[in-house]
Order: sequence, then C-alpha cells, then structure tokens
Amino acid sequence: MKKTTRLAGAALALASVLAACGGSDGGSSGGGGSTTTAPGGEGSNTTIGGDVTPTGVLKVGTINGIDSLNPYNYVEASSYNAMLMIFPMLVQYKAGSDEFEGDLASSWEVSADGKEYTFTLNPGTWSDGTPITAADAAWTINTTVKFADDATAVSAGAVSHVVEATAPSADTLVITYDAAVSNVLPQLQTLFILPQHAWEPIVGADGAGLKTYAPQEQLPIVSGGAYTIEKWEKDGTTVFKANTDFYGPKSNVEAIALVLYTNEDALLADLKAGEVDWADEVPIAAATALQAEASVVVEEVPGSQTNNITWNSNPKKKKNRELLDPKVKRAMSMAIDREGLIEVVYGGHAVTVESMVGHISGSWENANLGPLAMDVDAANAALDELGYLAGSDGVRVVPATDDQPEHKMSYEVMVPDSLNFNGKRQFELVADNMKAIGVDLKLLSGGDATAAFAYETGADCDAAAGTGYADFDIAMWDWVGYRDPDFMLSVTTKAQWCSWSDSGYDNPAYDTLYEQQATLIDVAERKKVVDEMQQIIYDDVAYTQLVNMNMIHAYRSGWTGFQLDLNGYSKRYYTDVRPAG
Amino acid sequence: MTRYLLKRLAFAALTIFAALTVNFILFRALPGDAVSGLKCRQCTPEFKEAQRAALGLDQSLWQQYVLYLKGLLHGDLGNSWRPPHPTVWSQLWDPIKRTLPMILLGTVFSVVIGVSLGLLAAWRRGSMLDRTATGMSLAAYSMPTQWLALLMVLYLAGWLGLPTSGVKDPDLEIAQLLGDVGWWELFIDQLRHMILPALAIGIVFAGDYAIITRSALVETLSEDYVLTARAKGLSRWTVIRRHALPNAALPIVTLMALSLGTVVGGVLVVEYVFSYSGIGLTVVQAISERDYPVLQGAFLLLTVAVVFANLFADLLYPKLDPRVVLR
Repeated sequence: MKKTTRLAGAALALASVLAACGGSDGGSSGGGGSTTTAPGGEGSNTTIGGDVTPTGVLKVGTINGIDSLNPYNYVEASSYNAMLMIFPMLVQYKAGSDEFEGDLASSWEVSADGKEYTFTLNPGTWSDGTPITAADAAWTINTTVKFADDATAVSAGAVSHVVEATAPSADTLVITYDAAVSNVLPQLQTLFILPQHAWEPIVGADGAGLKTYAPQEQLPIVSGGAYTIEKWEKDGTTVFKANTDFYGPKSNVEAIALVLYTNEDALLADLKAGEVDWADEVPIAAATALQAEASVVVEEVPGSQTNNITWNSNPKKKKNRELLDPKVKRAMSMAIDREGLIEVVYGGHAVTVESMVGHISGSWENANLGPLAMDVDAANAALDELGYLAGSDGVRVVPATDDQPEHKMSYEVMVPDSLNFNGKRQFELVADNMKAIGVDLKLLSGGDATAAFAYETGADCDAAAGTGYADFDIAMWDWVGYRDPDFMLSVTTKAQWCSWSDSGYDNPAYDTLYEQQATLIDVAERKKVVDEMQQIIYDDVAYTQLVNMNMIHAYRSGWTGFQLDLNGYSKRYYTDVRPAG
Repeated sequence: MTRYLLKRLAFAALTIFAALTVNFILFRALPGDAVSGLKCRQCTPEFKEAQRAALGLDQSLWQQYVLYLKGLLHGDLGNSWRPPHPTVWSQLWDPIKRTLPMILLGTVFSVVIGVSLGLLAAWRRGSMLDRTATGMSLAAYSMPTQWLALLMVLYLAGWLGLPTSGVKDPDLEIAQLLGDVGWWELFIDQLRHMILPALAIGIVFAGDYAIITRSALVETLSEDYVLTARAKGLSRWTVIRRHALPNAALPIVTLMALSLGTVVGGVLVVEYVFSYSGIGLTVVQAISERDYPVLQGAFLLLTVAVVFANLFADLLYPKLDPRVVLR
C-alpha cells in the first residue's frame, strides 16, 4: 500500500491489503495436520487469561483518524485497527512471530487436501447480550463471498477461494475452499466477524446496505471484541471502553481515548507535556529529539515502509524509452549514495533494502539480491558502453533510434507532496548523485497521493485496453508491505494496472508465477517461487529500492506492555498496554 | 437607498454565481477523482465504473454542473462522496459551529490588540513607542499564520497550559461517558481549546488593524476640529476618544469586512496546525478525498459570508459617517 494514500482513500487498502498478508499459516500444516492454540497462551502479559481489573485511561495520539466502523466501507488505517479491537476475528498474529494464535477461534484443523478448515470457537457474547456463535461467523463469510464483486469488495480478499462456510454447531465453523490456498490464516486474520442479528436486516437484496451502513453514527455499536466504542468523532476523539465480558485477553485499562492530530508537532508537544500517553507513529525527523526526553520512551523496529525509485516499466511508454533498459536503470542506481540518504534524510532511522518485498516480510524476502553498491565509475562505464556520451554541457545524450529522436538524459522525477519523510531532500541528494554520471534530474511536485497516482497511471488508464502509464518516467515514492509477500508481489502484476500498479510493469511470465504462489501450500515450494518473482523484478529494475524505514513510536515512561509489531495484527496491541508497576 | 440595496444584492448574487461556477471548474481540474483515490485491491474496473456512476462522475461536466445548479436552487448542497454519503450540510454544520466562535474570538483579539497598538502609535507619534508599536504591527502583518501557529504549539501552549489540538479534552470525553459533566465545564474546556487558534489569527490580523488605525488616527488628529477640541482644553485622551477615534472608525470597519475573506484563508492553516475540527480542516480533508460536493458547499458558504459581510459594511457606512450617501 502506498503509505501516503492513507488520507486519499487508498486504503480500503488495509483490509484488502492485510487480507493478503501474514507470514506462513502459523501452525496450520498444509499436509492436513492440526494445530491448537489457546488464546493468550503465548502472550507476554502476565494478566492474560486471568481476571483483569482494568485501571486507568490510556490516551493515544494519532495522525490517522477513524472515518468509519463499517468493515465494508472505510478508508483510514485507524478504522481498521479500531474494528480489529471491537469485532471478533478467527485468528490473530502472535507477538514477535509470523505464527498465529486464536482470537475467537480456540483451535482449528485442516483437512488432508487443504480445502477444508474447521474452527472451534470460544464462548462469547455480543455487547447486547446475544451469544457469539459460529452462525455469526458463517453468515459473515457467506455474505462477504456473495457480494464480493461489489458491496463487500473491500473485504473480498479475506474470503478469496471460499466456496462456503457452515456452522454445524454453535461453536464449530467449517470453511470450504475451491483449492488449497497458501495464505488462509493471513487472509482470515483480516476478517471481522459481525453480529448476524444486527447486520442481516440492513443488507438489502443487492447488498447495498452493507456499503451505506454507518454504525459509528448509531452508537453504541453491537460489538464483541476487547472494547466497545461509545463515543466517536471523525475529526476528534474516539473512546474505546474495555469490554469486561470479552472472551479473550482483557484490556488492562478501563478506556482508551484515541485523539486525532493533524499536526505531528502538536502531537509530540502534547506527548512531552503528558497530555497524551502514547504516540503510535513518530515522524523520523522528530525521533532523535524525542529520545532526549527523560519522561518519554522511544522505540523503533524495522518498519514495513520501503522508499524507492519507481521506473515506468510499461513497454509502451512514449518517451525516454532508454529507461526501459535495465542496464540504464542499473547504472543510474549505482550512482546513488544510499548510506548518505540514510544519514541525511532519515537521521539514521532506516536501513538499506534490495527487494521490493521489504524487511517486514522476514524470511519471505529474497536475501540473495544485491547488494546494490555505489560505484560511480562503473555506472559511467556502463553508460559509455551503451553509447550515451556526455554533451558539451556534461549531460549525456541518447542517440536517435527507430522509436525516438536524439535527446539528452534529462528526466522529470515526480515526488508526491504528502510523504512521511523529506522526499524533496531525498530528491536533491539523488539528483546530485546523478550529476556525477551526466544525468540531469528535475523535480516535479506530484501533489497529494491521489494526484500523484493519477500522474503515474495517466488519465486514460484502462487495464483491459492496455492503456495508461504512457507519459511519466520516474517517481520517488514508497510502499508499505506486509508480513506475507502476496500483496507486494501483486502490485507489479498486469491485473493491478490502474489499481495498485504504479510502474506499469507488464510481464506475463511474472503474472503466472504470481498465480502459482497463491496456491502453493508447501512453504518451501512457495518460497522458491516468491524468490524467483523478486529476482525478476530486481533484474528488470522496476524499482530501485532506496531504504527500509524504521517504525517508531513513543510513550510516557509510566506505561508498559507495548508491542509495536502487532499494530494492525492483534488485539494485544491495545489490550496488553498497562500502567507500569 | 432601496435602489442601492437592490443593486448591491443583484451584484452579490452575481458574485456568488461566478464564485460557485469557478469553484465547480477549479476542483475538477485536480488530478484524480473520488474513485481513483479508492485503490481497493479487490475493486475491479467494473466496480470502479459503478462507483463513478453512483457519484454521477460518468456524466459530462456540463451535466454535472446543471445538476449542481438545480440542487442549489432547491436548497440542496448535495451529498458527500465519502461513505456513507451524508448530506453536505450535515458535514458542514458541526465544523461551522466550531469555527464561527473561534473566528469571532480571533477577530476580537485582532481588533483589541490592533486598535490598541495603532492608538498608542498615533498618540505617541514619532516616539520610541510609535516605532516599537509600528514595528510589531508590521512583523505581525508579515508573519505566515501557520508559522506563528507552530511557534505557539511549540513554545506558548506548554507555558500557558493550553491545549494544542482538538476541540475537547479527551479526559472530558471519557468523563462524559463514565459520568456527568456540567455544561460550564464543557464551555470552559471548549474555550480553552479555541484560545490558541484564535490568538494566532488575532495576532496576524492585529498588524493590519494597527497600521490602519494609526494611519487613520494620525490623519484625523491633524484635522481642525481636533485642534479646536485641544484649544478648548480637553485632555489628549478625551480628544482621541471623543473626536478622533469615532472618525477613524470607517476604515477599521471596512477592514473588518474585507478581512473576513483573509481570515477564512487563515482559518484553513490554523485549524490544520491545531487539529481544530472546524470548516478549515473539513476543507483540507475534502480536498485530499476529492469530495467535490463538500468542497463546493464549504466554499459557497464562505463566499456568501464574505459577500454579505462586505454588503453589511457598505450599509453601515452612512451610520458611521453621515457624509456617506448610498445611491
């Protein structure tokens, strides 16, 4: 997901993206083995599973507001996180691991052919007192499948390949797939189980009611997760009240107030002043200064965001067609001082990365790529060899060919305005690097995320007709990847043209591999295909990966229990947080 | 007078029509639309086309424009394009309720600070006090509003113990849920939240008021009737209060009306810096979401407000200065 699209609606994203994410299927074995995981069994919180007396109020400052609490119609990442807290899900990620533990499910089994998953559910109740049963889960899944092309498209990825779900008993759920799917649990980890009795009446014949329903406008919402939401304000504060009847690990605090800040400086000032207890996302530029604050704890982990140079890889691009040649792109990439970028632009809060599948994906990342080392002499030699010699002004000239006239190696680089790092400074440094090899780069401000994406795809983008991605040359942007590599691998498929593709990359062989990896349930086999796909993108230089940013958060020293890596992956992200001591 | 009023009303209507037409065209010139912003992974081209059709984006610009005008004639500002598509009016009403008092407080700050500085400067014309007051006014006048607002967040808020963001204390939100909170407590809390944004607007626009006030007073103080008043033995302060200030009020009132448009511009950035969920923040979010109906609605209301503020100032002139005759 483009990080910077979070305000622009991109992320219907997080749900659909996370639908494709996650590591291996945790404990489930494709060979038909079974795994039982008790909720809370692996947690780090000593209160888990026991009787918790929630105390205190946690005030969380965020720069990402909650726009909706309808799983079928929302935009912001915070909305996803809020729904994760208030609705049951079958499974969730374990802390510090790519494996899964139960949420509503207490255990699960996989059939020998990998097409049938049977879940045993924990006993629980909705906030209005109605029992949470397997029928609710089956109804949610079947409804999502039924309207997957329209009303429930946002969550359709979570039920990809599902034929049907049944509830043989109140605590048994059976999901049948049309094929063995490689990432069932990562998909289900993104599916919110809804109360059938509250949602069925609003569906309507064509499912349209699922899109227009706004439960946040009719609080209190019927929920069954670790919290209930009784106060919501789109541009203000949302209050999560601990659900003392929750079936899983209960909240350690009475309530959480999620406070929206549109200005990061104000958020950090309030954190220092103790007005908020936790800033869930700290901008890189502020991290170092914040570390000097005695009352504030700053933590960082390898993040999910990779920042790159995106090369227009559409074979039908109109101008500067030499940029389709991987040798040219490789030579230009070799001129870039990535260590310098990390020092100057990121203040040391980033590391180098080679694959489009970033460090967040752990073992799924192809470790054999690169490293791309800075070597200006080799870059110059490569361009000389291609016959692109420097003109009188020092800028190299591309000789005329059948498909384009002679022209200088002078290119516009689109940099969106809405980045969470200093993209303009990064451009300046890269442009300086390029001067050393006779390449002239000019900055083109891309505007906000929607405008920048429109610039890349072109106004005539039509995947079926194969139009679009005709005019732009180079962009500097970012991607936010996930634990499972599926999503990041998908963005360079032709199927994602005009949707997620930002490069216009078009390679049928690659697309075939993508389909193949989705149904390989043997982890080693899938890893082989996934590695091959990363190698293809690396060799074709659809992207030049610049850095993998660190994810940074900060909290007041009177609190503990934070698990940054569970953001968007588990209810423990909130429930484990508690006053220190 | 009636003829003048009718003429001005017709001109106001024409101005508003021109503004809403320009707004309609301007917003659609932005790259991308509400649907292209929805980069939903599962969204097929058919799904996106259906979304476009549902929002009326599949129609020609001309058709969309005619529909928009028809809606306006029926008092319908349309529906937001953001799910679940509430009416534009419902999206704007709460923010307006928050922004109006803040602008009002900001205007009070700017008039009080600005007129006081201008008065002091004129009173002690040529002195160090005059130079200092004029210097401060020019500094305030040339200061970018967002920069001043950021300085306040970083250096003033902590010192004054005032909140830097939002419109209500989160503790109060929770207290409201868990028990009763009195209206007085709520009022004071909301006032505390609007002080810094209002002060940022107030200081920036105070420069304008100070310069105009000084200039008007200096001119007035050189009039014969002021000399006569002095000759009668009235104190300097009485002369200023009774004779000079009322006669210098005309340009100040003009400025109050004219500055409404600029204040609105300032509100956009100030609300963003202070996360103040008013009309400015709504507009910023609507731009990023390409929510044209909300943008059109917001700018229409702002245009109407500015046009009528100017009209009101025009009508007020004869009351302030009997020499002014409206024809």
